[in-house]
This record gives sequence, C-alpha cells and structure tokens, in this order.
Amino acid sequence: MEEIGRIGGAEAVINLKLGSSVPISYHPCFGPHEDLLLLEADDKLVSDIFHERVTLRGLPDEDAVLCTKSKTYAIKFVGNSNSMFLIPPPSICPGDAQVSDTNNNDKPLVSVLKIAPGNMELVEVSPRLDKLKQILLANPFGAGDVEAMMDVDDDLDHNGKRDLALYTWSDLVNTVQASDEELRNGLQSLSAIEIDGYWRVIDENYLDMILRMLLHNCVLKDWSFDDLDEDDVVDALVADEFPSQLAGHCLRVFGSKVNETDKWKLEPRLVCLHFARQILREEKMRLESFMEEWKKKIPDGMEERFEMLEGEVLTEKIGIETRVYTFSVRSLPSTPAERFSVLFKHRSKWEWKDLEPYLRDLHVPRLSMEGLLLKYTRRAQPKADAPPVFSAR
Amino acid sequence: MEIRVKCRCGEEECSEWAIVELQGVVETQASFQGSIQNLEIGRLCHSDSSQGTYTFTVGYHELVGSKVTLKKPLLVLKKLQFDEVSGKATELEVVGIIRTKILFKTRPKPLISGTN
Repeated sequence: MEEIGRIGGAEAVINLKLGSSVPISYHPCFGPHEDLLLLEADDKLVSDIFHERVTLRGLPDEDAVLCTKSKTYAIKFVGNSNSMFLIPPPSICPGDAQVSDTNNNDKPLVSVLKIAPGNMELVEVSPRLDKLKQILLANPFGAGDVEAMMDVDDDLDHNGKRDLALYTWSDLVNTVQASDEELRNGLQSLSAIEIDGYWRVIDENYLDMILRMLLHNCVLKDWSFDDLDEDDVVDALVADEFPSQLAGHCLRVFGSKVNETDKWKLEPRLVCLHFARQILREEKMRLESFMEEWKKKIPDGMEERFEMLEGEVLTEKIGIETRVYTFSVRSLPSTPAERFSVLFKHRSKWEWKDLEPYLRDLHVPRLSMEGLLLKYTRRAQPKADAPPVFSAR
Repeated sequence: MEIRVKCRCGEEECSEWAIVELQGVVETQASFQGSIQNLEIGRLCHSDSSQGTYTFTVGYHELVGSKVTLKKPLLVLKKLQFDEVSGKATELEVVGIIRTKILFKTRPKPLISGTN
C-alpha cells in the first residue's frame, strides 16, 4: 500500500492512486453544521460567484432569490436520500489542529465533517417587478411635490416631512427581487426618474401639463416634432416654471433620441396614447365620440391611428354600439399565472388579435409563447374559417 | 435585504472538497457508546482495475462504486454573521468547491470469510 504522506482530507480522496487505500473517519468536529450549504451552479455562475457579482435578495419574510448582474434565480432545496459524506480539506476547524494525533503521523486523515441532506439548486425566474410597480405607483410625484421641491426657503428634507414611503436605488435593491439590470429595465418601463435620490414615477396629470406646455411651445416657436433641441425645450419649460429635471424627463417619456445627434423626436404613438388615456379616464365611451374627442386633442402635424392603442384600450359591442375603454397592459401582473387569471376574469373568451398585445411583454424563462398558451389557456375553434378563441384552462 | 456572496479566493485557488456518496445509512453498532467524532467509518480503496473502480469497506460490508464528475459543480457555502432579530445569515462565503464525487450505488456485498 502506497504511502501518501501527511496530506489529509479531501485531497487524499480526489487523488487516491490506483492500488491505494485510505481510512475514512468521522471528523473531530463532525456534526450537523447547518451553516454549511451546498449550491449547485453551472460554470458561468461559478465564475460570477468567484468575481463576487452574485447576491441574495429579498425581505426576511420572502424566499430569497439569487441575482447575478442580469438574471434572477429561485433557490430550491433538493433533498438526497443517499448519505453524502462531505470531506473537507485539512484544518477546517480548530479541533483538528492535532492532525497527527492518533495512529501514525504518516497516515493521511480523511474525515467526514458532515452528512449533507441535499443541495440547493437554482431555477431561473422572471424578476418580481410587480412589487416595484406597486411601491412606486403608491406615491407618484405630482404638482404638490413640485411645489415643495421648488420651495427654496424649505431647508428640511421635504420628503421626510411628508412621511411617505420613498425608495432610493439601494432601498429598491433591498426590497425588489430582481437583478440590477432587470431592475433598471423595470424603472425604464415605468418611465421612472430619480429625484433627490429617490426613484419616482410622475403623476399622469402633471405629465399632461408638461406635455401640453411642450406642444404649445413647439407651435409658438415653430419647432419641428422630429428635431427638438433638449436645451431649448428645457429652457422654455423652466421659463414656464417647470423644474428642469422634469422638463428633460418629458422628452424621455414621450420621445426618443435621434440617432447620433443631440436631438429628440416626439413619438406620435406615445403622445396620442397619452391623450387617449386622458379622454377615457375611468369611463367607457362610444367609439365615434371618442374618435372625435381624440382628434381634437392631437397636435397638428401628428396623426392618430386606432392601432396605436393596442394593449391599452379594449372595445366591446353593446347592441349596435361599440364602446371603448382603458385597459392597459401596464396595469396587469407581470407573472404569467396572474396575468392570464386577470385577463380571463375580465373577459372569458379572447381572439388572438385582441389577446396578443396583452401577452407580448411576458418573458418567461424556458417558455415560448406557444408554451405559455398551452400551459394557461384552452384553445377553441368553433368553425374552421372562424378565428380561434382562447379561454381559461 | 441584500447579501453578497463573498469569497476570499479565486476560482483556481478555491479548496476542493470531496464527497463519498452511498445509498443507505451508516450506523454505529448498538453496543457503541460515546461520541462518533474520530471514529473510523471504513476504508476507501481505488481498486487495481481498468475501470477505475472504488471499493468502500464499512464493517463487514463492501461497496463498489466509481468516481463521477459532477455535471454542475457544487459550491460549499458558509453562512456567517447572523442577524439578531430575524436569525437569518447576513453573509455567505464560498469555502470550497466540489467537482467530483465517489458514488456507490450497488447493493453492499457482505464479506463473510469462506464464501469467496
């Protein structure tokens, strides 16, 4: 039998030469060691972990998720009915300082520190962004907040005085179970803005005021919608007593940067959608009345089209009348089971052309659109030439 | 709460741990009293065969198995710094990595002298 020398522990097992043997004992510190966990991770994740780019996120009462820079994973414990003897490298705990204590000095000491009951596995999941929506929409930034912000005599932290639940980036990271990149995308899709270190969504009515002032200035100063200069816009709006930060934000909400220039163009769809929502508010309107009102509100030089409103309004037929009302995809849950549940509660049967805009933004790891439909809906086609209809499974 | 998973070493230097896995349970004899720390469990042998078989002898049983490379490595994490209020760990540190295990999944063969 070959002498291995005084290497103890895991190495002796991993490098056990052909024809050799080694005794295995219980470690002097053998025990449950509940502070030791095994985590199964693919090579990419292992690399992220060694670069310290991985965190666990969640509130104490939630199941923790593991986040890399761009993905979120649920953590599942998978039990193993086998006995998994965990053998550490030498000197893992104070008790085995006397490695050469019993038997002879030269025999390697391979010892089992713990019998692992199983290991943790990771399953990629969608980020839990519904909470982000909920906490930011609870306190939108509106005209009242603008006043407080502009009040230069107020030395105190105005937000603190109001006793509102406001969130800094760090608060969001500690509260929302999503990776940094997913969180940033979530903020972007809510058109959120950081004011005084807090992430806020702007109240729609206030946004309406800024937009209308911007459009008014476009007419007054003969600016083209496709070629707006940010500084000019901000100066004009500041002159009309809007905070400069929000003036710039208005361009981000309703426009996009023109490639490779410093100019902005207003997106007709976003502007028209905004006015449609202002008209409809909480009501259902006759389609013809709505279209008339809508046309009046659209600025000259922009053209409204009903298709711009898909995923934002629905129509229903009551007798010979068609009525239209607000039903925005952005107000729906972001997790598939809840999304489909709300959709089918609202309407028990959907045609694909109406349903699709409300599913477009759903991204579920490992599940395609077909997979999602199969999993959550029942498809019926009453007549071969009629379009298929989807209902709850 | 955010807990960063820390490590004091890079991937190359990370200590490799080992796993010996078998079906069933290893027990001490009924007559044994006292703590099991330091007690010998058995003997692991890398048999002299072309297939790289391993045998593990525990008491009068012999198990036959092989070394398996894990499809996905296992990281050994240690929970540190516990929060007073919730009792939950506030730090996690990587203390090791496991890339292979010696797996015994056959029925143990009783070693009774005279039968072989």
